[in-house]
Amino acid sequence: MPSICFYFQVHQPFRLKPYDCFKIGYDHHYEDEPVNKIILDRVSEKCYLTANQTLLNLIDRHKGNFRIAYSISGTAIEQMEKYRPDVLQSFQALAKTGCVEFLSETYYHSLSYLYSKEEFTRQVTKHRGKIKEYFKQDPQVFRNTELIYNNEIANFVHQLGYKAIICEGLDHVLGYRSPNFIYHPAGNSAMKCLLKNYKLSDDIAFRFSNRGWAEWPLTASKFANWAHHTAGNGETINLFMDYETFGEHQWPETGIFEFLKHVPGEILSHPDFNFKTPSEILDLYPVRGEYDVHALSSWADLERDLSAWLGNSLQHDAMERLYGIEKNVNETGDANLLDNWAKLSTSDHFYYMCTKYWNDGDVHKYFSHYNTPYDAYINFMNVLTDFEHILEMKNESVYR
Amino acid sequence: MARVLMLGWEFPPLFSGGLGVATYGLVKSLSHENQIRLIIPTAASPDFQNVNIVGLNRVTAEEINLERLHFSFSFSNTELHQLPLSASPYHYTNYVLSKSESNELDTLKEGKAGMEVIHNTFSGNEVYGPAIQHKVYLYAKLAEEIASDGKFDVIHAHDWLTFPAGMNIKNRTGKPLVLHVHALETDRAGHETRNEIYEMEKSGMEAADQVISVSQFTKDQIITLYGIDPKKIAVVHNGIEPVRTYRKDHALKDKLVVFLGRLTHQKGPQFLVETAEKVSRVYPRVKFVVAGMGDQFAPVLESSAHKKLGSKFIFTGFLSKAKVNDLLAMADVYFMPSISEPFGLTALEAAQYRVPSVISSQSGVAEVLNASLKADFWDTDKYANYIFALLKYNALHKTLSDQAVQELDGLTWGHAARKVQHVYQTITQSKN
Repeated sequence: MPSICFYFQVHQPFRLKPYDCFKIGYDHHYEDEPVNKIILDRVSEKCYLTANQTLLNLIDRHKGNFRIAYSISGTAIEQMEKYRPDVLQSFQALAKTGCVEFLSETYYHSLSYLYSKEEFTRQVTKHRGKIKEYFKQDPQVFRNTELIYNNEIANFVHQLGYKAIICEGLDHVLGYRSPNFIYHPAGNSAMKCLLKNYKLSDDIAFRFSNRGWAEWPLTASKFANWAHHTAGNGETINLFMDYETFGEHQWPETGIFEFLKHVPGEILSHPDFNFKTPSEILDLYPVRGEYDVHALSSWADLERDLSAWLGNSLQHDAMERLYGIEKNVNETGDANLLDNWAKLSTSDHFYYMCTKYWNDGDVHKYFSHYNTPYDAYINFMNVLTDFEHILEMKNESVYR
Repeated sequence: MARVLMLGWEFPPLFSGGLGVATYGLVKSLSHENQIRLIIPTAASPDFQNVNIVGLNRVTAEEINLERLHFSFSFSNTELHQLPLSASPYHYTNYVLSKSESNELDTLKEGKAGMEVIHNTFSGNEVYGPAIQHKVYLYAKLAEEIASDGKFDVIHAHDWLTFPAGMNIKNRTGKPLVLHVHALETDRAGHETRNEIYEMEKSGMEAADQVISVSQFTKDQIITLYGIDPKKIAVVHNGIEPVRTYRKDHALKDKLVVFLGRLTHQKGPQFLVETAEKVSRVYPRVKFVVAGMGDQFAPVLESSAHKKLGSKFIFTGFLSKAKVNDLLAMADVYFMPSISEPFGLTALEAAQYRVPSVISSQSGVAEVLNASLKADFWDTDKYANYIFALLKYNALHKTLSDQAVQELDGLTWGHAARKVQHVYQTITQSKN
């Protein structure tokens, strides 16, 4: 009896305001509050509120047979607290249905695992606390930022007490095997991996409105038919995508909400199919094989690697400078300072610095409010330079 | 293989700006597939494969029919007389074509004496100089005579200096005319300028079969300021010749920001001073090296002194090519705050020396050099922020230098020549 497992990623970064060299040493406030508010307002109206209501209705209509999961970054929750408590409440309403699972991630949606296990653990713990506070759940399944993954990460996350980790279903690792089963990471039979079915996921997230696509227009019944075809060769079809797919990346005019409204009914029209959340999948199905990933992978771009965040020396430099002062930040014992520093670890700051493809005006450009990756780097480094300056003064006063 | 009558003004080894570099790069690349006859005022180099160089400083009596020249002279148009003070391409001068010089032209005689006058006019190392209008005029007459045989398929003229010649030859022979715009009078003298040179450029471009501009930026100016039909303007970005570069140490403890070019209004020297002031506030260990001369030298010097920035500036005056190379080999940042820059080849030369650029968005080179930092010409806060970042953040400096060097691979004269070739084909076909 195969299951469909939906997981939606909700994330908003704290974008930095334009911060030129003249502000260094004088202006210690980095957030672009007006821009962050405008963007959250826009995404709330176009996506979060509409999609939440749609899904809430579906859960009602299907009387517990439609089930989904979210991962909401800590920075997104914080901005909702600040600017859109109504959106946060609508997520809480979903949590109350009992049909929605919330996953763990790094609070700041960061790449901290790659630079500091201590900071990674701290951010995961902080996020777990936030999820408990708002949604009264203790997450059992972990998703790393941008599904960054390898065996070592799976092991580390297992040690933190998680039963499973979400990752990309990589063709070159799976070979002839299907992503539609539970696997365990190489060398750890106690941990489990849920693999994204990228083909079916991307049919919705990326190709839905593409008129050049042979399958356009994608209807709910067509999609359900594809899913039904996996019967006999799969136990869990993991559809993982950015939540902003609904209404923001795919505009309402494309019919994406109509699609969403009808997909559950179409899927459930086949008596063998159901919807389950990640934790339920783990209880329901056995582990069918080993998933062995050495090199770091992600769900981004065609490369499915880290090159969007760590593909050039600007990104490496900024990242190394940031984690280079971790110890000094911690030594101050100043929670506010630590929070400001950790906000700089959000992956988006580094994504904006990505130089691959940017001349082609592609998806990377769409997600950046900077004119060029160089501007993104310069702005970030100016902020960091000021932050280092504060840190120095703080440390001097501590040791005096 | 087309036969091209090329009309140029600067050509190596004699040149003072980008025009000579560009003409050379293009002629060299075009010569692989075309037969070129190049007429220039002052030639100092021999012919090369497929290129016949006709220098008016050494032209022979067989090449021009002096008698006919003299005869037709009295019928020539008079619009070139009494050119205004701003008529120089690169410097403002107070020159007005004087009666005596006109008389000298009128009395140009056959034979040895006449040839001597011509040779004298076009000899020497100054390709512009105060007698520029006189030269332009005489060039137009002589080039027309030299080209009267009509043994070419297309006329290709570079900048206003050769536009009258191009128009004369087109009238005389009926051959298609391509005008190649490397710079406009509106760049040099300001967008509001409507002087005689402007008129010469305008009427030239109106008469031309095709216009080539060195950038989209310049194409836009030609459309909006000159009212030329966009359909007949092709953009051909300049290329750059690969060179062997090097790095050179210097004794100063400061980092060097280099400004290279004529100190004229067009180059935005007031923004240079403003930016220098702002940069030195946030990054004191810096020196701005200003290599070049021009009518804005005194104002720049005065305002830098007034802002107490004397110690931040090094003025070198005009530098030879070798010295320019040495300077680039020592530089940390190349800075070009031009108000209106049709191309800006020096930014590419800096890139060859792995010197990243902070350049004005109002420049042609900004269209081809993605790995550079660009700001509107007046935005000195942004310039300063960029220069600060390049001086302070090594990874940025390295990334921009690396990426710029990669971009240079795609910016060859061969590439430019192929586009020019396409222009030739279009107009020679439409003529047939």
